[in-house]
Amino acid sequence: MGQNQIRNFCIIAHIDHGKSTLADRLLEQTGTILKRAMQKQVLDQMELERERGITIKAKAVRMPWLAPDGKVYQLNLIDTPGHVDFTYEVSRSLTAVEGALLVVDASQGIQAQTLANAYAALEHNLYLIPVINKIDLTNARTEEVSREIESVFGFNREEIICISAKEGKGTDKILNAIIRHIPPPAGSKNSPLKALIFDSKYDSYKGVIAFIRVIDGVIKNGENLRLMSNDIIFESLEIGIFSPEMDALTSLQAGEVGYVATGLKNVTDCHVGDTITTVINPAFQPLSGYREAKPMVFAGLYPIESNEYPALRDALDKLKLSDASISYEPESSTALGFGFRCKFLGLLHMDIVQERLEREYGLRLLVTAPNVAYKVIKRDGSTILVDNPAKLPPPQEISEMQEPWLSATIITPDRYIGPVMELLSQYRGRFERLDYLSGNGETEASFSWKQVSVKFTLSMGMLLANFYDQLKSATQGYASLDYTPSGYQTGHLVKLDILVNGQQVDALSRIVPSGIASSEGRILVDKLRALIPRQLFDVAIQAAVGGKVIARETVKALRKNVLAKCYGGDVSRKRKLLEKQAEGKKRLKRIGQVEIPQEAFMAVLKKNNA
Amino acid sequence: MNPVALSLYLHFPFCLSKCSYCNFNSYAGMERLIPDYLGAMEKEILLWKMFAREYSSQSSFHEEFQVETVYFGGGTPSLLQPEQIAYVIERCRAFPFAVAPEITLEANPGTVQEKFFARIRRAGVNRLSLGAQSFNDGCLKLLGRIHSANEAREAFLCARKAGFDNINMDLIYALPGQTMPCWQNTLEEALRLHPEHLSLYSLTLEEGTPLAGWVKAGLLPLPDGDLAADMYLLAEEILDREGYSHYEISNWAVPGKECRHNLAYWKNTSYLGVGAGAHSFLFGHRFAGVSSPQEYVEKLSALERLPPSFLEVGGEKSHLDFVEGADVEREMSDTVIMGLRLQEGIDLASFAGRFQRELLPAYRQEIEELVELGLLDADEKGIRLSGRGKLLGNEVFMRFLPPNSTGSALS
Repeated sequence: MGQNQIRNFCIIAHIDHGKSTLADRLLEQTGTILKRAMQKQVLDQMELERERGITIKAKAVRMPWLAPDGKVYQLNLIDTPGHVDFTYEVSRSLTAVEGALLVVDASQGIQAQTLANAYAALEHNLYLIPVINKIDLTNARTEEVSREIESVFGFNREEIICISAKEGKGTDKILNAIIRHIPPPAGSKNSPLKALIFDSKYDSYKGVIAFIRVIDGVIKNGENLRLMSNDIIFESLEIGIFSPEMDALTSLQAGEVGYVATGLKNVTDCHVGDTITTVINPAFQPLSGYREAKPMVFAGLYPIESNEYPALRDALDKLKLSDASISYEPESSTALGFGFRCKFLGLLHMDIVQERLEREYGLRLLVTAPNVAYKVIKRDGSTILVDNPAKLPPPQEISEMQEPWLSATIITPDRYIGPVMELLSQYRGRFERLDYLSGNGETEASFSWKQVSVKFTLSMGMLLANFYDQLKSATQGYASLDYTPSGYQTGHLVKLDILVNGQQVDALSRIVPSGIASSEGRILVDKLRALIPRQLFDVAIQAAVGGKVIARETVKALRKNVLAKCYGGDVSRKRKLLEKQAEGKKRLKRIGQVEIPQEAFMAVLKKNNA
Repeated sequence: MNPVALSLYLHFPFCLSKCSYCNFNSYAGMERLIPDYLGAMEKEILLWKMFAREYSSQSSFHEEFQVETVYFGGGTPSLLQPEQIAYVIERCRAFPFAVAPEITLEANPGTVQEKFFARIRRAGVNRLSLGAQSFNDGCLKLLGRIHSANEAREAFLCARKAGFDNINMDLIYALPGQTMPCWQNTLEEALRLHPEHLSLYSLTLEEGTPLAGWVKAGLLPLPDGDLAADMYLLAEEILDREGYSHYEISNWAVPGKECRHNLAYWKNTSYLGVGAGAHSFLFGHRFAGVSSPQEYVEKLSALERLPPSFLEVGGEKSHLDFVEGADVEREMSDTVIMGLRLQEGIDLASFAGRFQRELLPAYRQEIEELVELGLLDADEKGIRLSGRGKLLGNEVFMRFLPPNSTGSALS
């Protein structure tokens, strides 16, 4: 088959706009999967992905298609993650294709990730095919959404394909549009091999399996290959395509998408974005755009049962085999015992890792309040990166602190502009501009449903303080959010410490803007007062910044704990009750003389309390 | 050989109705079982008498028992006919009685009449424990008591008239919603009757009881621990002023009228419990009979003998369902924990005499810490709870638990 009968494309959409359902229909329609063998959402293989309706890992599938022109085309669909945490993965997937289906939900219209992903696609010079999905819904606003798409992206009405992926309506038009409009891959099979890695997974028999798009040249079975970023050399144990199961072939050539089994034992050796070439006749230059995934969110992970620490370590080691983007190192805390400091791409990534550890490895975990990495410029002129509040140098050594900022977009129906603005000021965001998606808001009075995009900047630390949940509740779930890092900015930041009877509780320290330190401190202290059981003496709970107490509460000493009577000489019952009390005490963590149940820490650290 | 003091506890698990706070081993609507039950108790007393003789002759204990106290507990032993009570006391004489034994009967004010008191007094009962619980009718209703405050008052006066000169009254405080004035009033009403003895119990919400269920369902407020502490302190103050001695955490008495039977528990001396679910401490063993009255009657009718070895091996046909073998560590611990409930606390010399071991070195660290916390007073004579320690007894007791104690349930 000639290179000009290949079409590589991806589907970009906001979460839940029907990307996976559309992929399923395409698989069916091309006969790649028989309808009756179809498991809903074939490409979302992880249980978690199906449940949450999100794609975490990129996937690829090859579909043969007999077009009306009588020729058989090779369609390669690369399913991309849809979440902002995985922006880099998305950008690598976009590099591997020539076109994209831009799917928008007919009831929700353009959402923040629609915009972000569409702009990313345009930056990669992809041909976009606009698709409005879910036109069968009773609350579909196909007309308004169509206007939005025309206005925001400059499409003509005729270019927009309206479908219901669920009912299989209109999807045939998509296949034809792909063949007609998306260009065949460029690249030459006679040039030295350049294959782009856009994802990888670990297989216990074949080692790391790299998902690749061959840009130039040919990749062959049994050939010696080299990773251009780290010069690691391996033999290709197997070459093949996903259809959607792995089908071995002897080779893949320029323009094709598939996989290579590397035999490598470590996914971290096989970076997304890296270029594979041959050892014998190598390319000179790797493909551009490669960078290492950069962690943005940091948190401590602790087993709730301290004896599960080794199990947690083993689970993390195993998880790392399939998720190269997490990293971790042991850490210990007086309050929480032994655990790990983990680095995540973002909040969703953190959630996913926690959920996988709990679900796939049966662990019960405590996750500390997440934080960002701060740049600390010390008085001696050196700069350090601090990703753990406990490791912040003492204030007298700090000359300046910088925190990461984000440039962000919220898309929301215009009736929520007020609440969104209020939220922004509450979170110290800096408003930049507001636009109506369907042109100027005033002249479109005939539409009752209008969406706006609000552009602003926000410190990442504030984002972690529950911003997204607050946004959702302020807009009854209608608003969507997308953001990209926009560099570090100087901030008035302080470390807020919590002290129990004068002893600092390491796990509860956090770095906050100085302006909110005392209100945060008050909240934490109040919460702890309610959670710390009364002791045999008064317990002072204090919030302090740089040694100065800014909030204080007292847990009054326990006054009464005594069994009233001895029932008919039943001494052993009495003893058992005492043993139960004593046993309960043994499980308490000691901060100095004060005994605190782990649940108290958990309640304070719970995310919606952060 | 000097005889060893023995206390007899006789359990009557029958009630007209179950109180809302009660999770004792007691049952309403089973009165038809009483005659068989009394027969079973009579048999059990005799079996234990024979067992004690055989066990003493074969073991290191060599004990000759003498009954110092008898206690009719329940349930509602005042449901029995005076003749039945007289009969049971006679059966207890299988063990020799001391010269002036204390014989107590728990009486529910809702079940008794004047002639009942006169007749049980003639039968040998010389102490009454009246379950008044409160002198507020609202509280009595909440507790599910079958009597009013007035009936409690009348029952008390009847007992006096019948010649009882040693009467205890049980009162419960820290009920959900109870106020300080309400509690003070109950105390004052009780004191107007001049009982010789008062047991004041802070309400414990026992799982599975209706009262606990109502609190759990939010129908009633959770009793407030601090208010309970204040109620306790108020009682301490008033009763002290009235000349009562606060001789145990929950018990006050006119000097000389302390409950000898309960002192046996607190001093951890021998007692034999007879009846369904009754607990015993004998020859260093703790054990208890099956709880169900029906099962108790059945097991006893099939039981011919308690072989000397049976406390050690249990046995299929035994009427016991719980035995803890003798264990010096545990006995020491129990002795300290129970003894600390008493005002006099633990006397170092008698502890050493009993266990051939000094108390202080055995628990040095615990005692030092508790003295430091202000929960325990210690001097050359002994250790005892401080004023604050009485309200925080569990915090003290749990530090004296044996390293690892296990009771075994017999299958």
